[in-house]
Amino acid sequence: MSQHLSSREVSQWMIGERTPQQEQHVRQCSECGAELARMEAALGLFRGSMRHWSSRQSRAEPPAVESILPVRRGPRIQPMRWALVAAALLVLAAVPIYRNVQDRQRQAEIARADALLLEQVDAEVSRAVPRPMEPLVKLVSWDFSATDGSDENRRDTTRNEEIR
Amino acid sequence: MATPGTMIAAVERSASEIDDLDTLVRLHWLRVFRFAMASLRDPDAAGSVAQDCFLRAYRSRGRFRGECSTQAWLMRIAVNLIRDHARNRRLQFWKRAPAYAVDLEAAGQWVPDGGASPESRAMAKEQLAAVWNAAGGLPERQRTVFLLRFVEDMDLLEIAAATGMKEGTVKVHLFRALQAVRERMGRSQ
Repeated sequence: MSQHLSSREVSQWMIGERTPQQEQHVRQCSECGAELARMEAALGLFRGSMRHWSSRQSRAEPPAVESILPVRRGPRIQPMRWALVAAALLVLAAVPIYRNVQDRQRQAEIARADALLLEQVDAEVSRAVPRPMEPLVKLVSWDFSATDGSDENRRDTTRNEEIR
Repeated sequence: MATPGTMIAAVERSASEIDDLDTLVRLHWLRVFRFAMASLRDPDAAGSVAQDCFLRAYRSRGRFRGECSTQAWLMRIAVNLIRDHARNRRLQFWKRAPAYAVDLEAAGQWVPDGGASPESRAMAKEQLAAVWNAAGGLPERQRTVFLLRFVEDMDLLEIAAATGMKEGTVKVHLFRALQAVRERMGRSQ
């Protein structure tokens, strides 16, 4: 191989893909050797600077495991979770009870209203005279309770005798 | 060559290593953090990614079957987290000026003291800056493969395991990344 390494071949060399002919050429050709050395030096510098830069950072030190694992704080979180579950269950259980109480109250109110209505109907039915005639009844103060049939007959007889 | 006995021992060692989070963090934190730093170039984001990486690794340790090294497994988690983070950052419509910009610029010009001449130091700085800029502008997969190879010193098979790509795909991405870096270096000369 007499030709110099092309740019592609230099890149392939850096990956580790090289033929025996290329290796022989590089051993003999100072120009190709210098080009490969320049490339390797630049990549070596890059590695060194990157490592130097990251090692200078405060976070380069391994942290305490506790700061990585929030799971270790689990026992504190666990009761909280159980409390939430219990609260949810309580709410779920309280809803039907509350509804039941409300239903009962509503039924009691309906029953009370029904009873009142029935009382009103009874009162209307058992009235001696219709409601519009009630003022007239007050004007004529008949005392039905103090009279019976015989008294009325006696009063009629006396009245007839007087007429005669 | 690895015998079945040594392979089983390696798998058992990896599994016990993952069970012990303290050891896992102590042994691998710096590499994961460094890779995240190199990818995101943001110390805070890199710290968060590294932390999430170890948390996820620990939580999903039951799924680790020892098919790859612990290092490759952690890197695979980190690669996914970095990808998610970069996507989220792209979607942010507000951008805050990075507080570490000066630090980043200085890092891109870092050259170790080796008694070199001022000229060669200046040239080295130029080349380093070119690689930094080129690496920063690479597409996501090319950058990941490039950093795993040339910062973390991982071989192609390890990179394939860490990225979930085939070895041939890794080679293609690495080749393209190197071509881009070489082009940038050529321009800076």
